[in-house]
Amino acid sequence: MDVLVVAEHLDGVLAPSTLELVAKARTLVSASGGGVKAALLGSGTTDLADALASHGVDVLHVEDPALAAYTSGGYVQALQFLVTRLAPRAVLVAHTAEGYDLAPALAAAADLPLVTNCVDVALEGDVLVATRRMYNEKVQGEFEIASDRTYVVTLRPGVTAPAGPAPGGIVTSTSIAIDADRIRARFVRLSRPEVSDVDLAQADVIVSAGRGIQKKENLALVEALAKRLGGVVGASRPLTDNEWLPKTRQVGQSGRTVRPKLYIACGISGAMQHVSGIKDAGLIVAINTDPSAPIFEVAHVGFVANVLELLPAVLKELGG
Amino acid sequence: MPLDVVVCLKQVPNPDLQFQVAPDGRDIRRDALNYKTNGADEVALEEAVRLKERHGGHVVALTAGPKRAESMLREALAKGADEAVRVAFDDAGSFDAGKVARILAAALRTIKHDLVLTGVQSDDLAGSATGGLVAGLLGLAHASVVTRVEVKGPELEVACELEGGFERITALPMPALLTIQFGANVPRYAPLPAIMKAARASIKEVGPSALGVASWDAFSGPYAFRVRRLSPPPSKGRAELVTGRVDEQAKRLVRLLREKGFVRG
Repeated sequence: MDVLVVAEHLDGVLAPSTLELVAKARTLVSASGGGVKAALLGSGTTDLADALASHGVDVLHVEDPALAAYTSGGYVQALQFLVTRLAPRAVLVAHTAEGYDLAPALAAAADLPLVTNCVDVALEGDVLVATRRMYNEKVQGEFEIASDRTYVVTLRPGVTAPAGPAPGGIVTSTSIAIDADRIRARFVRLSRPEVSDVDLAQADVIVSAGRGIQKKENLALVEALAKRLGGVVGASRPLTDNEWLPKTRQVGQSGRTVRPKLYIACGISGAMQHVSGIKDAGLIVAINTDPSAPIFEVAHVGFVANVLELLPAVLKELGG
Repeated sequence: MPLDVVVCLKQVPNPDLQFQVAPDGRDIRRDALNYKTNGADEVALEEAVRLKERHGGHVVALTAGPKRAESMLREALAKGADEAVRVAFDDAGSFDAGKVARILAAALRTIKHDLVLTGVQSDDLAGSATGGLVAGLLGLAHASVVTRVEVKGPELEVACELEGGFERITALPMPALLTIQFGANVPRYAPLPAIMKAARASIKEVGPSALGVASWDAFSGPYAFRVRRLSPPPSKGRAELVTGRVDEQAKRLVRLLREKGFVRG
């Protein structure tokens, strides 16, 4: 049986996670004995469909003015049609802001089993085995879901190696009647990222502060270390949410993806959304009181300490 | 226009704790946990209360959970919810999001709502599935990862956070369901008199029969769900962990930074 991948694209760019889904779909069909197909929904998206097909995947290209921007209503209509026609064993969607808007809506509308935010997924006969991370990344769970209906799965970005370029992919233009009146959540506009005072993406050294600094005043310690190392200050989400630092300083999936030579995480627990934004940094140093904090999974060197005690000692040791 | 808002809350184990897997491998050990309101749900509650303050209306705090979740509902009442409903679904792990969503959807059919709010993700299971499923089951328009909500006549205009600093502005008719993201607001603290009052408030308890079924199993989806195994995550073992006295740790860190050439002077 086939596995259907839902391609994601924004602002004319294919999401990197789509190629990860293609790779995972290939391992699934080796068990289910079908092919991998990708649904690319949009309008004026021929180039994207070709780009996706150049990774050796057959692309079902559904073009309709009603699909020009993502809406769950439009996407669910198109995908319900494809699921009915192809009866795939599984539909793979990236666990992104768009993906976890879409996947539950599709599952509920078509009465399909759903499992989300998987770090891995496998088929054992007809049973889907989903591996997930829970409890602040501190526990892994394997779940068995058994159904004769199409499984809807969201896969966490960044955990599967993406499919590379390969020949043989064909684009098939697929026409589906989309009823625009049934799209209730309407797209209004896209707003692009603000221009930053400091470009985190270009910085060689980033010292980031998280909840562990406890009070806004304690940011001074992080700022002092960043200054001493010729770097800039970043932050994890809770700090920018509290407006202790501007949104442009937020490192992570919803903020900036960074790749400095040195990243020091001060009192950051390491939620998935933060870690995915730093994993390509050269040297990651983490300071956290909790030895089970997930930040230590990605850090190269971890200090089990209270930042409010360690940073003053480090600054003293560095002098000046 | 006054709004009837229902906010779906979940009580979760404090995510900063260390967790152990129960001997049977089907749940975490729950004997020494403390619980709190799911972080994003607190933001959703605050958004609900602010909408009521701005437009008038009524806020119901709804949960599906064991008796202990009443403390969370009292906190919600103290922070401005008008009414609290606990669906007495007592499944400690609640790993099957589809079942929880079907139960919540059934409960919502019995509560008047223009708007249903919930957090974008739970701190314990991190599925971001329940909100979207509930919307789909009830046929509500929905938007996810919402950081701003504006009521414009009969419609809502919301900002949905995407990756990389992008934002999608979406308009939707009511009734609607929104999953609220951190940063939408900074939740308030409950004033002491409100806490005292909430301690005495009654909480409506809903069992399966009130939802027209004999048992919670009636809300199982079109699949069989089973926990195979919980385990500590396989450690990539990348971080070399440095413990010990702070002054020695500081020396160690500074030595590392000097060796790697990050310290000038």
